[in-house]
Amino acid sequence: MGVRRRSRRLAAGLVATGLAFGTAACGAGSDTSGGDPNTLEVWTRSNPDPAATYERVFAAFTKKTGIKIDYQPVINFDQQLQSRASTRDLPDVMINDTALMGSYQSQGLLKVIDPDSIAGHDQITAKSWSSTVGIDGSHYGIPYSRQAQTLMIRKDWLAKLGLKAPTTWQEMLSVAKAFATRDPDGDGKADTYGMVVPGSAQNGYAAWWGSSFLWQGGAKIVEPDGKGTYKAAMDSAAAVNAVTWMKDNLFCGDNAVTQPGALTAVTGTATNFQDGNAGMYLTGPYNIATFDQTLGKDKYEVVPAPAGPAGGDVLADGENIYFGARTGKTKQEQALAAFLISAEGQQLAMTGENQPVVRIPVNSTLDAATVRDDPRWSVVQKAYEDASQQFPNAPDFAPIKQDTADSLNAIFTYCGGDVRSQLKELNETLDGDLKDQDLLK
Amino acid sequence: MTATVTTPATRRGRGPTRKSVVPWLFLAPGLLLALVFKFWPMAKGVWLSFFDVRPFLGDKWTGLDNYTRVLTDHRFQDAIGHTLILGIGQSLGAILLGFALALLLEGQTRSLKILRTAVFLPAVTATAVVGELWRLMYYPTSDGLLNSGLHLLGLGPVQFLDNPDIALYSTMAMGIWIWAPYNMVILLAGLAGVDRSLYEAAAMDGVSLWQRLRHVTLPAIRPALMIVLTLATIRGLRVFTEVYVLTGGGPAGSTEVWMTRAYTLGFTRNDIGGASAASVVLLCVTLLLTVTVNHFRKRGDAR
Repeated sequence: MGVRRRSRRLAAGLVATGLAFGTAACGAGSDTSGGDPNTLEVWTRSNPDPAATYERVFAAFTKKTGIKIDYQPVINFDQQLQSRASTRDLPDVMINDTALMGSYQSQGLLKVIDPDSIAGHDQITAKSWSSTVGIDGSHYGIPYSRQAQTLMIRKDWLAKLGLKAPTTWQEMLSVAKAFATRDPDGDGKADTYGMVVPGSAQNGYAAWWGSSFLWQGGAKIVEPDGKGTYKAAMDSAAAVNAVTWMKDNLFCGDNAVTQPGALTAVTGTATNFQDGNAGMYLTGPYNIATFDQTLGKDKYEVVPAPAGPAGGDVLADGENIYFGARTGKTKQEQALAAFLISAEGQQLAMTGENQPVVRIPVNSTLDAATVRDDPRWSVVQKAYEDASQQFPNAPDFAPIKQDTADSLNAIFTYCGGDVRSQLKELNETLDGDLKDQDLLK
Repeated sequence: MTATVTTPATRRGRGPTRKSVVPWLFLAPGLLLALVFKFWPMAKGVWLSFFDVRPFLGDKWTGLDNYTRVLTDHRFQDAIGHTLILGIGQSLGAILLGFALALLLEGQTRSLKILRTAVFLPAVTATAVVGELWRLMYYPTSDGLLNSGLHLLGLGPVQFLDNPDIALYSTMAMGIWIWAPYNMVILLAGLAGVDRSLYEAAAMDGVSLWQRLRHVTLPAIRPALMIVLTLATIRGLRVFTEVYVLTGGGPAGSTEVWMTRAYTLGFTRNDIGGASAASVVLLCVTLLLTVTVNHFRKRGDAR
């Protein structure tokens, strides 16, 4: 009995010790970089391939300044950021989409940024700086990379069918039909498609992809009134016409104009262009590196997006550098930002084997095509500079983009629906989103 | 357990003795982990559901606002409908298939063991991987596995995931495929406990296969069936991964379920309060259903 009791006591002691260690470990593990003032925790929304580019950039920064970087490439960025926000301990520096600035700012996640405090701020154009002004007139981000969508198109297919790269919607449609029906890959089977569409509502993809068509049709999703307020504009005649054209011709018209499964496809699953069975893809230039590897540089070309009735404007977006609120490392953060926007930092991020993380440099002393020695990038830069529109950066655009994507996805799915009334309904929802933010005119 | 622990303590009439403490010490690691990783976040979720959550600006108390907003949102109402269809269909399908598999694969032969392991594989494969697999099988042209089969029969191609009328059922089929083997294992354990002499007696009475199933097998595995049913109900209601990886709730929201909607609210619209409210409602419904199923089970047992 005594032996048994002793062994029990021993076991209990072991359990207690184990618990004590466990909790101690928890306490120590929660905050690795927060304590060291010379280490910055940096988050980017990156897959492993672009993350390798970032790692090179940060290594160069550490070598130059001695400030260490605890780099975290995060794929489900916003989910992780929400959980970190709930612990009130944010990463020091975040590099993420321009369209998210309003959302982050409305949640109080960002530090105000004084452009003058960043060395080399004058090498960024006023136009680029204006895209980081928040709803209250202060800057909340530092421009890092910019891009605009362009049309990637199969050069060999065009040549085989004796066609030219399209410059209007109508031409694009006939090229798509030709790609789908005239067997451009010459295997005798009807297994090719006109164009790739990431048309799922998930993460707002339908709105992201469709916005270029909206701009080209002369439509806007929300319109500023110049006094800091907005109103929804998706019930305009231009929006109805553009959406109707897309629905009738791309989704409810002839088969195979778009790839099968377009309405549930996100960019990760819409791989038909690189797989070699779809001929066109309106997308961002970061894909150039991927397509060069998977499809081959000689197989496709990069051309400006075909113009719609109101012109050829495409969606422009990119990444900003954000400083997490209340991190207490402002000097180091500013040093990192200054390096990232410097000619050296931008060049490093534009070149190398992996996917470039700076597409069009915000540093005005650089030229995308010259740095890369690749004329295709001048097409992208030209599109960005001359024919592009961004999502409005000041409001929290996340709900607006999501609601627009939900609605577009539904319109394209149910071919029998009435576009005008569906867009009217969307417009009311969008006004509701703006009202939630006290931004409705 | 409490009875055996507290009896000696009350007999001595003093506070907790070593004997009463030791079991708790042994339970402590598990309880502590559950407290930190389960009950605390759960309590926090309930708490947050009454707020407009803004960690860096200060949460704003909104009372039942989140609940009214969630429950009156027509997309949530649609999602509840889809959840019920998917949950019920998937649960029943997986139980029926699991039962059939269990009957077929019951026994001690080595080949059966190998077969059982093979059949169990879907249950241990990561749902994300299964989702990708089924996406390929459902590929909407005659290149897709299922559509190439249909093509041979002169049918199709069927838009399994892109037709809003079919997508929910395509998701259901995948769910059944994943969960049937899981149910099979529990039911196999139940079948192993059936008294063999009952089968022999039934055989001597010359009953049909159906009668034997109905009057011998099913009553004998009722406890196992109840467990399977309870688990399947809970799983059916909080279904998320299957839908998220296969369709993401699309097309046109036709496969949007409760949890994918809550996820969208929380993580793409940054409405953590609303997402918490939605999850709390789901918790209450699940609790209610579990209690109801248990109640009927107890009543059945008493009879």
